[in-house]
Amino acid sequence: MSPLNSLFKNARLALTDAQTALDNFAESAVDLTVPTVRLGVTGLARSGKTVFISALVHNLIAGGRLPLLDAAGTGRLARAYLQPQPDDDVPRFNYEQHVETLTKERLWPDSTHQISQLRLTIEYESATFLSRQLGGGKLHLDIVDYPGEWLLDLVLLRQDFRQFSKEALKRAKARPDLSAEFLSTLARHQDKLHEEFSEDVARDLANTFTTYLSRCRDDENALSMLPPGRFLMPGDMKGTPALTFAPLDLGSTQVKPKAGTLLAIMERRYEAYRKHVVRPFFKNHFAKLDRQIVLVDALTAINAGPAALDDLSQALTEIMGAFRPGKSSWLSSILSRKINRILFAATKADHLRREDHEHLEKLLQQLVQQAINRAEFSGASVETLALASVRSTRQATVHHDGVETPALLGTPMPAETIGDIQFDGEEEAAIFPGDLPEDLSDLFAEEQDRTEAEDQTALKYVRFRPPKLERTAEGLTLSLPHIRLDRAMEFLLGDKLA
Amino acid sequence: MTNKKTQHKPQTRRAPKAFKLDDSSVRLEGEFAQEPLSSEAVVSEEDESALALPQNNIAPEPKPAVSRWSKIIAIGGGGLLSLAIGLAVDSLIRDLFARYDWLGWTAVGLTVLAFLGLIGLFIKEWRSLSRLEQIDHIRDDLQTAADNDSDKEARAALQKLMALYADRPETAHGRTLLIGHTQEIIDGRDLVKLAERDLLAPLDARARLIVMESAKRVSVITALSPRALVDILIVLYENLRIVRRVSRLYGARPGTLGFWRLARDVAAHLAVTGGMAAGDSLVEQFIGQGLAAKLSARLGEGLVNGFLTARIGVAAIQTCRPAPFIATKGPSLSELMSEITKSAPDEVADQD
Repeated sequence: MSPLNSLFKNARLALTDAQTALDNFAESAVDLTVPTVRLGVTGLARSGKTVFISALVHNLIAGGRLPLLDAAGTGRLARAYLQPQPDDDVPRFNYEQHVETLTKERLWPDSTHQISQLRLTIEYESATFLSRQLGGGKLHLDIVDYPGEWLLDLVLLRQDFRQFSKEALKRAKARPDLSAEFLSTLARHQDKLHEEFSEDVARDLANTFTTYLSRCRDDENALSMLPPGRFLMPGDMKGTPALTFAPLDLGSTQVKPKAGTLLAIMERRYEAYRKHVVRPFFKNHFAKLDRQIVLVDALTAINAGPAALDDLSQALTEIMGAFRPGKSSWLSSILSRKINRILFAATKADHLRREDHEHLEKLLQQLVQQAINRAEFSGASVETLALASVRSTRQATVHHDGVETPALLGTPMPAETIGDIQFDGEEEAAIFPGDLPEDLSDLFAEEQDRTEAEDQTALKYVRFRPPKLERTAEGLTLSLPHIRLDRAMEFLLGDKLA
Repeated sequence: MTNKKTQHKPQTRRAPKAFKLDDSSVRLEGEFAQEPLSSEAVVSEEDESALALPQNNIAPEPKPAVSRWSKIIAIGGGGLLSLAIGLAVDSLIRDLFARYDWLGWTAVGLTVLAFLGLIGLFIKEWRSLSRLEQIDHIRDDLQTAADNDSDKEARAALQKLMALYADRPETAHGRTLLIGHTQEIIDGRDLVKLAERDLLAPLDARARLIVMESAKRVSVITALSPRALVDILIVLYENLRIVRRVSRLYGARPGTLGFWRLARDVAAHLAVTGGMAAGDSLVEQFIGQGLAAKLSARLGEGLVNGFLTARIGVAAIQTCRPAPFIATKGPSLSELMSEITKSAPDEVADQD
């Protein structure tokens, strides 16, 4: 082999390498030019974030019925597919498993334990001449899912330990039936406040506090305002010092605690929690959002009564307060991208009769009025609607003893009860959940003067199982049915797919 | 909204209830088994829309007192005229009988024939008029449904709209889509928009084409024609043709009377919107086309005539279309005109 020959070969190899590199570069450059939308799916625990994301992705991928999403309705949507997400250090949203749970097992996905992310790429044909020539007809949609409990930490960003303790104890005292154990533990350890720190006492306090919080969250109470969020959904932080603290009864003393005392350590841990847990979460996942949907589950709160509804309203106001634009908000400094569309959606609308959707929407508007005003003031467009990401019921009328009753037809979850009837989770039933009152203040105020007769007519929303999906003759599964999911998508993404 | 709802809401709130489906005392109406899940099992819907009054903040206008005298004159005059005709026919037949019997019988036969034809004509005209009225009703219903965002009203109006196009095979696809939509839970306003997009969009495109064609022909012929009289006749002919074609396209079958009613409506529409058109697009158009007009007076005249024809076309579309323009703005004059001036060479190329 002559030296010339080998030189030639080397040169060719180098050229191939260069070409590969160039190709890669070109590919990533093309990828960079594809516009990206980061959709923030916000909502308290059990408001249906995971189901919403799964249904949205499934309907886009499977080509579901989305007549009101203009791109889909006019047939401009070519296809949608999942792609590797941009952030490598965040778990992937387990879309396949959630859809499997929904469609095969007909169960709702478990509550989310950790943050996860998903990138969906939508290929479409633009409706305008100019963007058909310029744009690639592609859109990346990045969606983040996280435990709703964590959202409550947003409130803590503005509170120091003293304020946090005061607020938390005030709430605990207002719910004596739930917090008795925690309060008595707290009273027992009251005199150790300025003594030397002991891990046992701290753990004792933290454990009883956690028990109290999780009891508040149970269905029959359905309270929402339960910070700190990681106590309920610790993720991988369970047992760390940052999660082993509790609010303390500080009275009105202003003395600075001596180093090493219980009080001092608790305060330090609270600050550590804020610094190492809360801030990074919001910094990494709430910055950079373009669009936001806030999911609100009003029905569970209505089920539990006025206290829960009041609590929900308070929690929403506090949370949305953290999104306040302007200098005073710490968050606004990192929210460099501007959220220009916010959708407030009352989820689980399929648990209501169609006539009541309007009332549900009104109730939602009442709950988030302040947040809406604020968002509109800062120039974002806001919409509210009643939504069901997955529709599990059908509307029907029942004739019984000569009386016609409007009803919902579906399979109630096992162990759900209404009146004397208990459901086994297998058979279908027609359910009339009660009339949503015309005057919504009824819902908030009726606690004190509720008579026995009125107690009978209290609303009761039974939870239904996900629907049984029909298959076509070819064995194709139809996409998940929904209510107004397409309208929500049109509001959130429509202009990006124009 | 509120007063509307309270009218048909029960005064007392009903208690929640559950019915197990295997319970023999419970009877569900409808056939759920045959319906796909995404569809609605709506059963024996109460006709709430009949009870729900539209929200009115504007006082109704008092109806003018109907003048009886003109009616009496009309009845009297009409009666006399009929009698005169009857008398003439009668005496004619008598005269014919006096000459030959067979001539008389032939006249009787012809009279009966003419009478039958007259009845047939009346029925046809009446039907075409009622169809026009039906289209107007559907349009009003859809408009109110969209304004109130009421899905009950929208569904009822869409049923009528689909019935209107039931015998038009080219709308089959749109109708199937629309039936699918009505079975989902979709708000009233959105339903109307969907109807516009899925059912009416192809018709709208065709209507635009009709108007464009006529406007183009008018502008070309008036630019070329040697005599003003020819211009006038062509313009008249094309304008009447637009109205007839557009109305047929949107499902009306105008007879003579219906056609004149339509023409009147179109003229009325023009009168109403005329001021507006003159305000913006007219001035704009003529400034824009000023150069062409300066180049040649005939060409300018042709453009003006084409423009006027397009204007009538737009009015005809808005009068004949069984739905208001909500999702889209509808054809606009400037858009039509720019297309006419732009696509003239293309048209020639296409025909080659």
